[in-house]
Amino acid sequence: MGSVVGLVRTQSSEEQIRDAISKALELIDFNAKNSVNSVAVKVNLCYYWHAATGYTTDPRVVAGVIDMLRERYGKDIGIKIVEADATAMKTNHVFLMLGYEKLANEKKIELFNLSHDNLDEKRVNVNGREIMFKIPKSLLEADLFVNVPKLKLMGATIITCALKNVFGCIGSPRKIVYHHFLNEAIVGINKILHPHLTIVDGLTALGRSPVRLGLIMASCDPFSIDWVASKIMGYDPSRIDYLKLARKEGIGSPNGIKILGEDLEKLRKMFPHANAFGLKWSNKILLRLLKFYSAIVGDTVPPELEENINASH
Amino acid sequence: MLNVGFIGLGKMGRLHMSNCLHIDGVRMVAAADRSKKALKRAKSLGVSNLYIDYRDLLSDSLDLDAVIISLPNFLHFESIRSALEAGLNVFVEKPLANTVEECREIVKLVEASGRKLMIGHCMRFMEAIEKMKDSMDKGHIGNLEVVTIEEVINGPFAHAAVPSPVSEWWFDPKKAGGGALLDLGYHLIDLFRFFAGDCRVLFSSLDHKFNLPIEDGAIVILHSIGSSTKGIINVGWYQKTVFPKFNLRLILHGNAGYVSSDDLVPSNLYFHAIKQGTKNLFLKIVGKKIRPLSYTYYYESYYKELKHFFDSIRQDTHPSISAVDGLKTIEIIEEAYKVCNRN
Repeated sequence: MGSVVGLVRTQSSEEQIRDAISKALELIDFNAKNSVNSVAVKVNLCYYWHAATGYTTDPRVVAGVIDMLRERYGKDIGIKIVEADATAMKTNHVFLMLGYEKLANEKKIELFNLSHDNLDEKRVNVNGREIMFKIPKSLLEADLFVNVPKLKLMGATIITCALKNVFGCIGSPRKIVYHHFLNEAIVGINKILHPHLTIVDGLTALGRSPVRLGLIMASCDPFSIDWVASKIMGYDPSRIDYLKLARKEGIGSPNGIKILGEDLEKLRKMFPHANAFGLKWSNKILLRLLKFYSAIVGDTVPPELEENINASH
Repeated sequence: MLNVGFIGLGKMGRLHMSNCLHIDGVRMVAAADRSKKALKRAKSLGVSNLYIDYRDLLSDSLDLDAVIISLPNFLHFESIRSALEAGLNVFVEKPLANTVEECREIVKLVEASGRKLMIGHCMRFMEAIEKMKDSMDKGHIGNLEVVTIEEVINGPFAHAAVPSPVSEWWFDPKKAGGGALLDLGYHLIDLFRFFAGDCRVLFSSLDHKFNLPIEDGAIVILHSIGSSTKGIINVGWYQKTVFPKFNLRLILHGNAGYVSSDDLVPSNLYFHAIKQGTKNLFLKIVGKKIRPLSYTYYYESYYKELKHFFDSIRQDTHPSISAVDGLKTIEIIEEAYKVCNRN
């Protein structure tokens, strides 16, 4: 069954963002647990790009989440902001570069690299494929797991939000090995890890270009978040491959999703929609053409594109 | 026939190797890199002598005429010195070296060796820049008063569709030697010198938007020593730009007019690629030489600079960019760092 998804719009001050988060949690009537001592807050820091590009979680939203957690569970709870190394990104650099070290000092919380954690090997079966993941123990042991993804488009999956941010929890840095079966991998990791709460940073969302949407989304169900996020971004969620697979594999269901707060249609009109075919295929087609041209004419390929061409078939 | 060795097969080394395939009279003889994958690629292009350590390449009896050095900044000085001592002509990626002291030493070594050294100041070979220089030299803009040059891109944080980690040496101030000013500003300061001659620093301001010890943005104001021309340099590593977009802009303001690079680069990069690609296809069909990388408006400059280097060896002329150019550019960058600290 789908869950309630709360949509709240906000201005950009930390206080306003904190209020928006509280309001979103009221909308979804969030009351996951009474006793919480440790919290893992998984942000989306996929690369060294500022939150204003629409790619990474805004530290101001995380500040609001920390304040909310302390308000609900007491100022002494242990809060860790967590992220794992990625193929091209190192967490220690990204924490410094995107302002998370400053945030950690101000809020007296811990920054934690999931790739340095004790990793548990876990295997799941998705769509007839067995997939192995290295899962950081911290996430399994935290009393509360809060997912703070970004609202954005991505060539490979069209949309990316809550379920894909859980994919970022995989401890092994070379996540690119999963990209040949990305939909299965996203669903697979969400069979193992279950965030108790998802708060989406839609302050700046990424469509065809970044857009200041000023949106906070909240839900206890990441599938419901992605279903609604897909609609906000202008795509029929029933046609998004990983959401189709997630339904089939029992990760979530759109039946019973309830949207409270802001008008979804108004948000959809604000979002800079990109053509799904172009998003998914334009680069691949251009690379194929360049490869063909290079083979026939014998011309050089710029280094930025050379590896992409080799990887595109 | 010139026998060439490659030291460093990262992004730039691979590009130089591919470009050499299009230059007549050049034989790719040897390559050195710590990556086995890179060496395997070199082998597939016909390079038969492969080394993990470039010092082995230099000490082997390969009858080399020149080496192309594309190593990280902090390895430039040592590798240049070793190559010159081995009696080889040297093409090295910018910057010449990380410090003025090292650059001065290299200038002395080049003079003593009698060999040629050229630095990859590729922007001087861009078609738009060549046209702007021609326009200025012909007097079309009158006296040059102000040059504004800006390049704001990703720098080392460029993200390819197939991701690879940013090399760790970029995060180490000692190894990188500097940030955006050294990496991108180096080109822009060289371009100012190309148009307005030697210069001094009037003002500089460095940014640390990414909280790194090296600067990710800089604004520098230059003053030509021989004239009243001033230059405004604006560089940054902080912008997410995706290939083929390239946020480089140069305007020459004269008292009779101006010329802007924006008017000289293709307005539609995809249309330009199709047009130039079709021309190359036609040249190939009729059996003529193609213009390598002309389908990108920017990368052709790398082919042109390399061809110029090999031409200067064959014709025994001085390359248009010498070790002294590298030294003077690094002197200005060091001055900019000092001026910023004083401010």
